[in-house]
Amino acid sequence: MGERPADFDAYWDEVDTELARYPLAVEMERNVLRCTDFSTVSNVRLTSIGPYRIFGYYSVPVGDGPFPGLLVAPRYGSVNHVPHHDDRERYATLTLMHRGQRLADQPFAASYPGLLTLGIDSPTTSIYRSIVADCLRGAEFLLSRPEVDGSHVSIIGDDLALITAARRPQFTAVQAGGLLFYRLLEAAGRSSAYPVEEINDYLRTYPEQRENVARTLAYFDPINHANRVTARALLVTGDAGAINGPEWLAPLADALGGPVEQYHVTHEGATDHDWQDAWMARQLGGVPKPRLWEVIA
Amino acid sequence: MSQARKPAERYGTTTVRPADFDAFWAAIMAEVGEIPLNPTMEHVPMRSTDEVDVYEIHYDSLDHVRIAGWYCVPKESYLPPPYPALLIVPGYISEPALPKSWAKMGYAAVGVAPRGKLRSNRQFNPGYPGLLMHNVVDRYTYSYRGFYVDAARAVDFVLTRPEVDTSRIGVHGSSQGGALTITTSALRSDVIKVGAAGAPYLCGFMDAAHLTHSWPYEEINDYLRLYPERAEAVRATYHYFDGINFAPMIKCPMLVYVGLADDVCPPETGYALYNAMTCPKEIHAYPCCAHDSGIYWEMPKVEAWLAAQLKPAAYMRHAEPTVG
Repeated sequence: MGERPADFDAYWDEVDTELARYPLAVEMERNVLRCTDFSTVSNVRLTSIGPYRIFGYYSVPVGDGPFPGLLVAPRYGSVNHVPHHDDRERYATLTLMHRGQRLADQPFAASYPGLLTLGIDSPTTSIYRSIVADCLRGAEFLLSRPEVDGSHVSIIGDDLALITAARRPQFTAVQAGGLLFYRLLEAAGRSSAYPVEEINDYLRTYPEQRENVARTLAYFDPINHANRVTARALLVTGDAGAINGPEWLAPLADALGGPVEQYHVTHEGATDHDWQDAWMARQLGGVPKPRLWEVIA
Repeated sequence: MSQARKPAERYGTTTVRPADFDAFWAAIMAEVGEIPLNPTMEHVPMRSTDEVDVYEIHYDSLDHVRIAGWYCVPKESYLPPPYPALLIVPGYISEPALPKSWAKMGYAAVGVAPRGKLRSNRQFNPGYPGLLMHNVVDRYTYSYRGFYVDAARAVDFVLTRPEVDTSRIGVHGSSQGGALTITTSALRSDVIKVGAAGAPYLCGFMDAAHLTHSWPYEEINDYLRLYPERAEAVRATYHYFDGINFAPMIKCPMLVYVGLADDVCPPETGYALYNAMTCPKEIHAYPCCAHDSGIYWEMPKVEAWLAAQLKPAAYMRHAEPTVG
């Protein structure tokens, strides 16, 4: 595990300070194509550090609010979906595109593979410094909305969800799975699957950078943020003995600063979805929306 | 729980095969056949390993759109040629695969990036969401006309490679990759020897939109909510692009696998596809699995299915039982 750098807090405080220099500069534009009789969807543009304009789809249920809020943190890839029908019915939902992803890809378009190691030799040049800032900005937007019930706001995603929850303690709950930055150098020694393989590619090419890479990754490893995560957390865990298995995640679970639950995946996608959806609904005061259906003869 | 449904295999489909379906696609393939492939390969040392060389490739496709891909091939010091070829075709929002792991098994593997995907989006970029509905009222300019051809055109790329045994070419993918497995096997039935299609998308478009509110099919519902008067034009276009209508053209053995609780690509449409195939075929269905389509259990079966036909050296060495 990456040791917590001595200047860890100062590093992230500086990101917050830099972010605070820029107003959100919100542009909201009704997305007529995605609006339904039960939800209004808007295209949202915000300013993050750089300065850089990022994008989100923001969906609000029709009716009298306030509504529970849900921030869907960006995945590792160029595309994030519009909020799902089931979430649009229940929550004020923001799906965010960080810089480089489609709809936030001008002037910077991310490469896949490639994004993970962009600027990785130093914590000050890593693209993830800015990507985390983008997520924090998305959180600030959602938490500032008058139609959102500030006592019921959750975030869902990978490491970016955990880091955002650590830096913005107003979140009620955080659901995290498929962690990428957690023990990443160790994971790279055990996996040749992308995107983890990007680290192996990089270190094969630049072996002399190993110490620098390790130092950079320590700023993004969620274990070093964990004590600041006070929201109720759900960690989604894989098979015993595997990367993201329960033993692998145990140090993180122990370090989290709030109540922690773990869900061990069955690998039946609908079963796993429905359990996690119900968990999130409980945190937000929503109604579970299972996707399994009854089969009749 | 969502609305109750009949067993997936009994649903059927509203898809209709146009009388000129074969002629429509024959004309398109003839058109692209007139366009020189102009293949290029650039070695990518950073992604290469002791066992596998990685190349970024490009070739020309329909409308002279330049298409990108990854080409991963075993190093001769690791495995001597010739190699069977395997096309790995991408999902709707996923990035094209960099298929080093397949090359390590002994395949010359291509990760295809059809138009609109990153690195193939300079001339065509409808976005996501967007691709599914781009020019949907006109089958002659509908997005998937070129997209399907781009995947099939990757076959021509591997046919140019001296290290490939061109009698052993397969195709595999899931979701949109499942759809492209079907269309590529159909459009290049002259050379494709085996396919494995997971959670096949782009089958029974309108049935699927009726059965689900998940992306990407929800794009159809969004579009028709705004433009209900275009429903018949949309339906008419989809008939020309429906995997179910490509199915009878496939000659090679085809494995289909589905999740019986797939909210993204409803299993009903997977069965409709399977029932329309006349080639040697198998279907594996996983209860309580969604768009994962049981991949946790299915992937070893997919590897074995492909290897049985394509015989990649490292996989066969690994798979052969040891004696003594």
